[in-house]
Amino acid sequence: MKTKFTFDNNTFRHAMNGHESVLHCHHYMALTSKLAMDFDAMGGTRILKESAEDSVRPLLDDYFTQNSISDAKQRLQIGAEYFGIMGMGVMKISGDDKTGEVKLTHSHVDEGWIKKWGKSSKPVNHFTCGYANAVFAAAYSLPPRSFQSMEVSSIALGDEEAIISVKRS
Amino acid sequence: MVVMRDQVVKALAELEVTGNEDGLIPAFGVLVNQLPTSFWNTFSERIMAEAKQNNKQQEVEDALINCAYECGYHTGWGIINSEEFKSVVSPMVTDGAKDVLRGAYAVFTAWGWAKSGIVQIKEGERMVIRATDYYEQDSGGEGHRAYMIRGVSSAFFELAYSDPYPDGMGKYNCNQTMGIETGDDFGEFVVQAK
Repeated sequence: MKTKFTFDNNTFRHAMNGHESVLHCHHYMALTSKLAMDFDAMGGTRILKESAEDSVRPLLDDYFTQNSISDAKQRLQIGAEYFGIMGMGVMKISGDDKTGEVKLTHSHVDEGWIKKWGKSSKPVNHFTCGYANAVFAAAYSLPPRSFQSMEVSSIALGDEEAIISVKRS
Repeated sequence: MVVMRDQVVKALAELEVTGNEDGLIPAFGVLVNQLPTSFWNTFSERIMAEAKQNNKQQEVEDALINCAYECGYHTGWGIINSEEFKSVVSPMVTDGAKDVLRGAYAVFTAWGWAKSGIVQIKEGERMVIRATDYYEQDSGGEGHRAYMIRGVSSAFFELAYSDPYPDGMGKYNCNQTMGIETGDDFGEFVVQAK
């Protein structure tokens, strides 16, 4: 996968393959995930998932267009590679245009949560659920919200790996 | 010698920031991520819009600031005690806490948070920060929206002037007095005792 990191010496902003990016730490991600969960009654985790899906999608679409990648399996693989480049963990991804599965053997969100607070009593990786929705929708050239994801195994809960089940909406 | 922000930024911005074989970026004593700025801005904008519908604006705003505040306190400590900081910034530090703060803001800038700097410090009492570019200026919504800069600025000031880490939290807050997102030429942030 081709990745170009740039730093604008005028604005001091970073970019990843031409898309503005920023460095943050596991504290910020863990606290943001917790904020979403604390305000779940007004849609906090849904907002977090959708924000992840909508912000990641343009990176994927542009990459596929710029590199003439049309094969869905190859697109899924690039989505998994991007995840690691962003520092979000190791992703293995499989599936088709109806259903899929995402496995994480390392996860920034979960390992950051554990470093900060220890094990959680419920799954915390809402960011990656949204990320997975973006990857599947981009792989099959479908509109946003075409897929829904749910964590069925969670590193933050103490499982060895995270498993996210992905289904067509 | 005063800490030269642009020199520090250049040195730190050149460090390779990409996932290792575990897909993680360990640096400055924390795990780092590099995500699109639009993710953080979209989340803030949408959660604040929902908060408005639910009469929870102040509660959610405080929570957004707190995310950055805790991040800034712990990561800031990691930054000023990291090998990266010691090798790049510490050689320029001759003016005690003020210089450490200047160095911390240089790292803040290098991470892409804001093109910012300290314009006034009354040691242990008050600090004024100005930012001529910051990613939160692009967030949609109403009013001042630089929640992240507010939280991190309180935290950095506490690291410099409050009780030693990790017992110095909760002593200062930061208000945004100007904002590019509200039509000003720069963002301005004032840290003072609670």
